Amino acid sequence: MISHQEERSGCEQSSLLKIAWVVLAASSVTLAKPALAAEYAISADSNTYLRMKTTVGKDDLYPLYEYLRFSVSVAEKDGSATALHLGAWGRADLADRSSADRLDGDLQYGYLSFNGAKNNLVLNAGRQFVTEGVASERIDGLYARSDLAAGFAAAAFIGSPVVTEPHDRLSGGEFIYGGRLSQGKPGSYYLGVSALKSDGANDSRDREEQGVDFWIHPMKQVDLTGRSSYNSLSSGWMEHAYTVSLAPLDALTLSADFSRINYSDYFFHVTSAAFSLINGSSGIISPSEQLTTAGLGAAWSLNKNITVAADYRNYRYEVAGDADYFGGRVAFALPDSLSAGVAAHRMEGATDRLRYTEYRLYALKKLGAVDLAADFFNVSYDQSISGVKNSFALTGSAGYRFDERLRLWADLEYSQSPDFDNELRGLVKLAYAFDMKRSEGGGKSEK
Amino acid sequence: MMPLLVTVLFACANTNSGARVHPEAVKGIPNCTECHSDSWAALNHQAVDFFRKHSVFASNARRACASCHAESFCADCHAHKEELKPSEKYMDSPERSLPHRGDYLSQHKIDGRINPASCVKCHGRQNNERCLTCHR
Repeated sequence: MISHQEERSGCEQSSLLKIAWVVLAASSVTLAKPALAAEYAISADSNTYLRMKTTVGKDDLYPLYEYLRFSVSVAEKDGSATALHLGAWGRADLADRSSADRLDGDLQYGYLSFNGAKNNLVLNAGRQFVTEGVASERIDGLYARSDLAAGFAAAAFIGSPVVTEPHDRLSGGEFIYGGRLSQGKPGSYYLGVSALKSDGANDSRDREEQGVDFWIHPMKQVDLTGRSSYNSLSSGWMEHAYTVSLAPLDALTLSADFSRINYSDYFFHVTSAAFSLINGSSGIISPSEQLTTAGLGAAWSLNKNITVAADYRNYRYEVAGDADYFGGRVAFALPDSLSAGVAAHRMEGATDRLRYTEYRLYALKKLGAVDLAADFFNVSYDQSISGVKNSFALTGSAGYRFDERLRLWADLEYSQSPDFDNELRGLVKLAYAFDMKRSEGGGKSEK
Repeated sequence: MMPLLVTVLFACANTNSGARVHPEAVKGIPNCTECHSDSWAALNHQAVDFFRKHSVFASNARRACASCHAESFCADCHAHKEELKPSEKYMDSPERSLPHRGDYLSQHKIDGRINPASCVKCHGRQNNERCLTCHR
């Protein structure tokens, strides 16, 4: 007898293999014509991590991770381009098991993409991350978007949602589709309406969401963004989120934002037991709760190297107590030499558990091929948690750049927290760029 | 009828696509206002609310994002399944605004109480297998 999860896992593997074949076959046909191209670029990199820690149960964990990323693009003389993007990771436990499986991994993304020279046309096929209005989804499927006449643009996607389903009772649907229609004037405004629908074998896992969003930039100093999303299955607004940004000076940015979230509509049919409204044993989310936040922020660049910022946020709940979060930070940066910062924030809540102060200090110094960094993060709770009132993590790191392609980095973190009296963790990172060939006049950055 | 209408609208648009690659390589956390005085200035990564607004830019200007950022940049945080925190993967970049720094096992109990909706964006339907260790 096969369990639901095993069955799903088998389907996922089969579906993944099919997608991989289709993408690779299409890629080989589409990309195998560099002779006609104006530009041919390949970039790939490998990041290998070895994490070291000992658990409370005295297990020695040495998981070794390998992250591989690969992109190849063929740009035509007319300005269009076709590209294949792949990203995946794998893990092997070198000592005790760090999770249920000694070996694990994931295909993060893998898709073939065509970018047209006109109309901002994009056609994607494969595993990809779609961000269109209410949709912020990873799918195995197809995506298309294009400018249309009169300032209109349209986007559509269809496929299988890429979700994790760790809980037997919480599934994430098998089929998802949606799109967004927008109208705008470049540099001035965009207005969008969007929708998504997700179906599964079990109707109780369906999703139907609609949304409106806008980005208005009436003048250089003013920028307005916002979105509202509606859950038509629960018949309620999931979220409203609006932000006003002002830049009276190039060096000064001001911001005010407002958001409102209805829990019964927002946490509808999630696959995480922690947030599920139907998973009664968890009991974390109160369906009748509504959260309203209002925030203010300001950042002032004293010069090219120093930025000072302050922020305030009020959290207002219908059921639980309210809270205020406020603080500031100072950041200093000398490109390719030094970056440092200090930040402090206070959470002042109506309950003792929601009263704490957090501090952070960090510095990164580059000395030729050597990089040195230190990072200190501290949280002081007004009310002790498990007998601990102060939690901190202190990290010291050092890196060496052998050349433009190869880099080694290691860090050691010591922490004290409500969960661990003393914890020492280590991490070693080896980064290798197989090829960082740039396109004409510029390049990609991973930062 | 609909395919014909879409074809006509597509043919009539005739806009030039945005640059695939940013014309100049950018170092550090960019302040787009240094060069741009139009709406691209709003993408200033040093603005106090950039993190809050980046989803709007991802909807409206994904191509602009892609002119500097590889797809892996999104996947570092918006992951289907992940075991390393972003701050662990980029421990060599302490200046970046990366979530879950320090002892997040303790802190997540408070953050989850303050605004669980902020957790759901990344852990509601993805990257939540570890949650089951405690949240059953």
